Amino acid sequence: MGRPGLNRRQLLATAGGITVAGSFGFAALGTGADALASSADTRVRYWNLFSGGDGSNMIAMLDAFRAANPDIDVKDSTLQWGNPFYTKLAMAAAGNRAPDLGVMHLGRVPGFSPGRLLDPWDVGLLARYGVREADFDPALWQRGVIDGQLYALPLDIHVQLCFYRKDVLKKAGLLGSDGRIVPVTSTDDWFAVLKEAKKATKKGLQTIGLWVNDQNFQWWFFVAFYTQLGGTWFDAAQRRVTFDTDKAVQVLEFLRRHITDGYADPALGSVNAEQFVNGAPFAWEGNWSVPVYSGAKLDYGAIPLPPVFGEQATHAESHSFVLPHQSDRGGGTNEAAHRLAAYVVTHAQQWAAGGHIPAYTPTLSTPAYKKLDPQSEYVSAMTHQATEPKVWFAGSTGILAQRIGPIVVSSTLGSAKPDTVARRMKSELATLLAMKNPMDGRTAAQGGTAA
Amino acid sequence: MTTSAQTVFAPARATTAADSATLRRKQGFQHGGWFVAPFLVLFTLFVIWPLLRGVYLSFTDANISGDGASFVGLDNYREALDDPLMWDALGHSAYFTLLVVPCITVLAFLLAMLAHHIERGKWLWRLCFFAPFLLPSTVAGNLWQWLFNPGTGMINHVFGIETPWLTDKSYAMLAIVITTLWWTVGFSFLLYLAALQSIPDHLYEAAKLDGANAWHRMVHITLPMLRNITGLVIALQILASLQVFDQAVVMLDFGPGPENATRTFVQYTLEEGFTSYRVGYASAISIIFFVLIAAVALARMWLLRNREEGAAR
Amino acid sequence: MTTKAWTPSQIILTLLATAVSLVFLSPFAWALFTSLKSETEAVEVPPHWLPENWTGQAWTALFETGNITNWFVNSLVVSVCVTSVVLLVSALAGYGFARTEFRGKGVLMGVVMAGLMISPAVLGVPLFTTVQQMGMVDTYWGMILPQCAPAAMVYILYKFFQGVPRELEEAAFIDGAGRWRVFFTIVVPLARPSLAAVGIFTFIASWNNFLWPYMVTNNPDLMTMPNGIATVMNSYGIQWAQLMAGGLMAGLPLIVVFVFFQRQIVAGVAHTGLAGQ
Repeated sequence: MGRPGLNRRQLLATAGGITVAGSFGFAALGTGADALASSADTRVRYWNLFSGGDGSNMIAMLDAFRAANPDIDVKDSTLQWGNPFYTKLAMAAAGNRAPDLGVMHLGRVPGFSPGRLLDPWDVGLLARYGVREADFDPALWQRGVIDGQLYALPLDIHVQLCFYRKDVLKKAGLLGSDGRIVPVTSTDDWFAVLKEAKKATKKGLQTIGLWVNDQNFQWWFFVAFYTQLGGTWFDAAQRRVTFDTDKAVQVLEFLRRHITDGYADPALGSVNAEQFVNGAPFAWEGNWSVPVYSGAKLDYGAIPLPPVFGEQATHAESHSFVLPHQSDRGGGTNEAAHRLAAYVVTHAQQWAAGGHIPAYTPTLSTPAYKKLDPQSEYVSAMTHQATEPKVWFAGSTGILAQRIGPIVVSSTLGSAKPDTVARRMKSELATLLAMKNPMDGRTAAQGGTAA
Repeated sequence: MTTSAQTVFAPARATTAADSATLRRKQGFQHGGWFVAPFLVLFTLFVIWPLLRGVYLSFTDANISGDGASFVGLDNYREALDDPLMWDALGHSAYFTLLVVPCITVLAFLLAMLAHHIERGKWLWRLCFFAPFLLPSTVAGNLWQWLFNPGTGMINHVFGIETPWLTDKSYAMLAIVITTLWWTVGFSFLLYLAALQSIPDHLYEAAKLDGANAWHRMVHITLPMLRNITGLVIALQILASLQVFDQAVVMLDFGPGPENATRTFVQYTLEEGFTSYRVGYASAISIIFFVLIAAVALARMWLLRNREEGAAR
Repeated sequence: MTTKAWTPSQIILTLLATAVSLVFLSPFAWALFTSLKSETEAVEVPPHWLPENWTGQAWTALFETGNITNWFVNSLVVSVCVTSVVLLVSALAGYGFARTEFRGKGVLMGVVMAGLMISPAVLGVPLFTTVQQMGMVDTYWGMILPQCAPAAMVYILYKFFQGVPRELEEAAFIDGAGRWRVFFTIVVPLARPSLAAVGIFTFIASWNNFLWPYMVTNNPDLMTMPNGIATVMNSYGIQWAQLMAGGLMAGLPLIVVFVFFQRQIVAGVAHTGLAGQ
């Protein structure tokens, strides 16, 4: 003990010992600091994939819910949209550590193994909190029903839109007397519009941003225009591929032409929003960009994707609430999850500000909703939705989109010829149709869950 | 001090009980199984068992939910050999390895030579070259995603170019390689530096006396003395690069890159297993990957043994 | 060598090293300056190095949202647990393989060496299903235990113990000391530098580990820094200033550790590297 270094050493050893012991103790408690600190009676863990404008709207709605229900603590977590989100949700459910409430795209529900990875909603409980089937579009509600049980509670419909800068189009003489873009009914019309718009565009900006290198957007646009042409995917029994390569080639050539004619710049493919804000006349984007552009105080409008092949149709998906599978689901936490979902669905006015069309129809007829602009300009999109085929491998960033999206991009960017790409798409569709859903070992034709 | 007391008394005890001492000495080194047991338990549970389980799952159509798997024989392997996406992914990992390994080896060597020959501020150079390695992979990935960003990124701005780094299939992998070089070269650099410092000075002094110039000293002393460490650096880099995942997915937002150009093998196995829920198939391609990795490791051992035999002769 | 001459070659080398260092450090500087800009200034085109308006908003926002402090604690807990288990277990095993006899040692050693080729990157999917069976998905133990069986660390310590002269232990055995006592009072103190190297490397590897925590944790409450930063988004979209601040927070602790323990770490790399030759 005579050496002065010994005290310091003892001190270090003690501190080290405490750190190690503390770490093991903390790990043994196992819940994480946040849950330890929570003092509310009921804690609802809620996962979503909303960022940007959607994220702030969701937070505002959650804060309102928290204020109205002080005994419920909502722990919301935003995971990265797309694959990471669905992967995490599936793994958590498979590992029996699922959150109490989650968000999913409606198109993904059939493939997400309802019953295994998802638990059904208690419709009676939902009704007690004000959510009834009668207040929803029947077709939309039915998409969440599988084997007679409600697995997905629809929150909204979101669509792909053609955003346009009124200030730029006015200069180009492309605005009608009502202050809206002149009608476009053919590809010739459309490229004539782009040609005029390009003349009025500032230097350094592209004429239109259409996410030419993004496999999701390119796939959504493809679905929209292919549907405008009346194209189909599979026969009713889901045994045969009915994909029409001629129609596909038309769509692919149409998408490609935006680049070859110099309206879209691949180098600016990932910064479409910034380009639009800086004065690019057009951007094709999801309606979730509405708060971004409104926030930037732009003079702009938005219509569904133009019916260049005659028929109106634009790509649509829906966000919905789901109950990820928990083996011991029930009790106060489960009731709180129902209460929270019902609250958000029925207080959708705030959500509509994010550009989405609320699924809860009473919201649509309120004066507050009718005043929203440009939402009122594209609400009609609800009646001509272009959706992916209803099979287990479809849905937002599902296997179908993952496999076919990059193929569409390769045509748009010019690394492959449209007719080659159309054939590859068809053979990929055939492969997928023959593939067994790993969750139940059945193909789409045999699949009860997908019907 | 108890130990000195023991030493004092020990010889006396040893003479009276020499036999039992020998016995104790022998016993001391026997039945060491208990030393190894804790490690073996963990090793069996988290390394051996998953390997065996992977082999088993690869013959089934197991899904993510962990129940209801049935035996499908060699179907998964047959599908894998025919799966263009798997071969693409393998190609991307191999391409990445091919780009990274030579670059990192040469760069690490040059940096080590530089730091070794400067007399002042050695700790500073060491810190500068090694610091990136201390960042988590995801932080390095985010940082370079931000540097490569079109418009707002510094790289294009500094060099006055407009390269679509992360949105064009011909540049995306290159961007990942550059990130990896910056991030990981420090480790190989330290290995080289340590090896350089372990070369005895007298070799150089003798060569100087013989009139060898700096170039000759490098070619005839430094490089031969670094042969072993170079072998190690290359082997470690090949094994690590084939398993690339973190920075690639972070820089491309967990996607497969423009036109699938950066989907690596590890990424593909995880996508099949956790995103498409096909655990059986993912296990099969994991086993294929394991065989590949093992082949690389065994090839290195074989080369090493050959060289040692050659040196012994 | 107390006074070093500024010979022309030294000047050239120093200038060269300075230039290279600047290249290596500039991404750090860019991250730091970005984190001190407002979110709107961060995404201005064209970009500029220094903030026009210096602001700590990204850092305060980071702490207010709370996740980052949780993740920091989680990283610390996981890394400390992994490091202590690995040190204990691999020191025992390294010694056991190097010094003691037991049936099947040769075969077991071979199996452990084969384990060098297995990592969560190679066999992640089966490892996940194993941990899933054990009910440890989304738990600290599920994150910690699979990181606690590193064959490489056993190998490094095995090499070290092989080089320790036997006489020290033999003398102690003759004195009647038990095996465990010999191990803890004689062998472990001798091995302190090697153990330090193994400990530091295990800590770095565990702190920075992304792949396995990414696979096994989905609950944001339990995530470690590298995992949380990469998978949990800010609800307001990608905010680069905050992202850079978070990244610096995840990276700085180890850089500080390196500055303080540089000698030991460099010796550790040398030691482990040269052992592997």
